[in-house]
Amino acid sequence: MLPVIDAANLSLDRRQAVGIVGESGSGKTMLCRALIGTLPRHGAGIVSGTVQFDGQELAGAPERVWRGIRGREIGYIPQSSLAGLNPVLTVETQLVESITAVGSLSRQQARQEAVALLEKVRIPRAQQVLKARSHQLSGGMRQRVMIAAAIAQGPKLLIADEPTTALDVTIQREILSLITQLRQELNMALILVSHDLAVIEEVCDDVMVMYAGASVEAGPVAALSKAPRHPYTRALRVSRVDRAVPGQDLEAIPGDAASVGSWPAGCRFWPRCALADEACRRDSQPALMPIAQQLSACIHAERMAELEQ
Amino acid sequence: MMTASTGSLADRTLRLLRRPVLRRLAQAFFVAFLLMVFAFLLIRLIPGDPAMILLGDQATEEDVIAYRKLLGIDGSIPSQFGRYVSNMARGDFGVSIRSREPVLSIVQKRLPVSLWLTVTTIFMTVLLALPLGVAAALYRRTWFGHAFQIGASVLVATPVFFSGLVLILLFAVQINLAPIAGYHAGFPANLYYLWLPALTINFVLAPVLARILQSSIVETSSEEFVEAAIIRGTQGWRFYWRYLLRPSLAPTIAALGYFAATVVSYAVIIEIIFNLPGIGMTLVDAVRNRDYPLVQGIVFLSGLLVVGLTFMADLVNGWLDPRAKIR
Repeated sequence: MLPVIDAANLSLDRRQAVGIVGESGSGKTMLCRALIGTLPRHGAGIVSGTVQFDGQELAGAPERVWRGIRGREIGYIPQSSLAGLNPVLTVETQLVESITAVGSLSRQQARQEAVALLEKVRIPRAQQVLKARSHQLSGGMRQRVMIAAAIAQGPKLLIADEPTTALDVTIQREILSLITQLRQELNMALILVSHDLAVIEEVCDDVMVMYAGASVEAGPVAALSKAPRHPYTRALRVSRVDRAVPGQDLEAIPGDAASVGSWPAGCRFWPRCALADEACRRDSQPALMPIAQQLSACIHAERMAELEQ
Repeated sequence: MMTASTGSLADRTLRLLRRPVLRRLAQAFFVAFLLMVFAFLLIRLIPGDPAMILLGDQATEEDVIAYRKLLGIDGSIPSQFGRYVSNMARGDFGVSIRSREPVLSIVQKRLPVSLWLTVTTIFMTVLLALPLGVAAALYRRTWFGHAFQIGASVLVATPVFFSGLVLILLFAVQINLAPIAGYHAGFPANLYYLWLPALTINFVLAPVLARILQSSIVETSSEEFVEAAIIRGTQGWRFYWRYLLRPSLAPTIAALGYFAATVVSYAVIIEIIFNLPGIGMTLVDAVRNRDYPLVQGIVFLSGLLVVGLTFMADLVNGWLDPRAKIR
């Protein structure tokens, strides 16, 4: 058995937006899959811990229970919008499927509902798009359709796994602002996964930073971006392209991300960390401890100032 | 913008060919022409000719030459080819050297038997491979999946002339559910004679098709859109048909078109084992007798059939999977 995530804690209220940030391989997507109960499809499972939604325990719940949750209570926008639509079916077929999963609508009503959904995600010429198949739509359009399908049943929570990664920059902004608007209109909580801290800052209230299967820092977005208390969070922040100074080398995190199955002993970030010392190598992965307005899993959280030199 | 009536004939033809289906059809015609050339050349590559075989060892050189002229196979290869093509263009396939019967009427008599064998076989292939492939994909991690994997390999590796004989022993001799050999025309009575030969061929075809379908479904099932459908709450037949089966069918249907073609070659062995008076048996005899016109006719016409079948498979695919629409 291979551990993929061993320390992650996430809780959110209705209307709250939480971001999960980290490099690829840090366990973000697996965490999302655990939250919608499709881990077994990927040959994985929850060994310990709980997943609770509205007071209902979902970890290890039977498929029958999950069916009542997925789509209806928790909407999901998959990682790759380009592959999220069935290539042989029209947009209409797939949207109508989402709509008719709850309640009993006639075909005509479901169709009207589908048009309304597409308008809700700001798709012009909705009638035409309904008749289209995936390969006839642009990346941005496909992602809008995926969002429409995710909100079709009026979920209380929307999970978006890297919703803008496959899109070009201008479309990214539109999609992000669409998600923000819909969240307010429909009164949904949001979990947004991204490897880009800037995206999280734009949309979320709180953020959880993941590294090698563990959350290393968590707290309000503003606090983490102003004064990070974990060297990894700081590294993510300074390596942002939009903060680059022309003429200067972009700061990159030295080394490679620890991959599943080969986590180093001690704090998993130490091989790439400037603050690392004997204690970091010796002790096991530290737990999150409160410091300032956030939680940090760094035993040297007080020494963060040293990194600014 | 040019209208359809302008431009030279060549221009207009080229523009027409840009229409996908027409271009595919033109390709089919080209393949048919190549078939004609192959049918002509292949049989002439075999040493010996009909005149020598018919007249026997004792014939004199003059006799053979005179007889060749009589049979219409004298002159150089190019001049023979020219005659052959111009006759074909007029729909004249010639006369069998052995029986003096028109090639077309022989084919008309024999081809239906082979066609029925093909149709029965392919129908059976679909009937067997579809549930088998789906089950093998869904239960691939259970004992069934492993048993299927091993069983399929064993069946595919078994030669049809062997499995055919075993099946005859079992179904015709032991439990008398099928005739040992022979044929009677007319549907549905002919199915009584055809089901065992079809099953024999399916000992090879069905496992292969099921394997193709299985691996496509397994591949499809890891697609993001499948996960998205599960999360949307799609269930039951809708889920299996729309999200697993339909997006996985393209390779299977393409293979099916190709299989229909291979049944024609299986027919040669199978028709001999089961003594079916089909085109395969006729072809073997014709080659043995160097019956040039008959070999040419059979190879060309059954080849044409194969081209037609593959073309149909493409059309069906385009309808089922818009990505695969003929371009």
